[in-house]
Amino acid sequence: MYERLTAGEFRIQCEGDIVRARKIVRDAATAMGFGLTDVTRIVTAASELTRNIYHYAKCGCMRWRTVNESGKVGLELVFEDHGPGIPDLAKAMEPGYSTGKTLGMGLPGSKRLMDELTIESTVGQGTTVTVRKWRKLA
Amino acid sequence: MALEKISVIRLRDVLLVTVPSEPDDETVCALQEQVLAAMARHESKGLVLDISTVQTLDSYFARTVSETVQMVSLMGGRTVLAGMRAPVAVTATQLGLTIPSALTALDVDRAFDMLTLPHPGEPHV
Repeated sequence: MYERLTAGEFRIQCEGDIVRARKIVRDAATAMGFGLTDVTRIVTAASELTRNIYHYAKCGCMRWRTVNESGKVGLELVFEDHGPGIPDLAKAMEPGYSTGKTLGMGLPGSKRLMDELTIESTVGQGTTVTVRKWRKLA
Repeated sequence: MALEKISVIRLRDVLLVTVPSEPDDETVCALQEQVLAAMARHESKGLVLDISTVQTLDSYFARTVSETVQMVSLMGGRTVLAGMRAPVAVTATQLGLTIPSALTALDVDRAFDMLTLPHPGEPHV
């Protein structure tokens, strides 16, 4: 099956970039043939993760690409920053836990909305969050 | 991106506020201020928040709406969230968002009934 390759990079450096990142992700997910509910899930997760970068690290980047793995097609989003890092990853994944003035829903919520979420973080060096959503077969 | 326009209209003694489809954080914040100012100015008994075009409801938006509902309530008004799209409702629930103390309605028409009829859904005697 022919797949149009989707890949790109977007720099996050101001608050308006949260809405811009949503638009990029919405267009990419829609072009890949995700249904409207999955598009909404992916865009909402991207909104949370982009806002995390803006709030905690001030700037960073989002990379997206189509991934093919054992016959499955999916969208992968990588959010990378060189901010303060997350001291306690297990706590950061607990719903309601936040070191900022937020609801603490971003990371655990994004994990529920996506199929896969992995975080690597080193205090003082930065954080990389990778999420994937697999396209359901019609 | 420029600040998206928020429309605040007074109909009878209810405020109708239309939320743009992809509001940025600044717009969401401005929405709260405009709603509270309009509540005070018009002595409204309630607020209908039309979110029928909203495509993304994330935790920041939910928190601000939730706060606004509480503030309007302290001012003596009730808030009805009207017209949430199905994919948005699915996503908000999975994300873990709740907007306690807000009334909800399928559309703006029903939302108005909730705020203006004496006992919506009950026969008038």
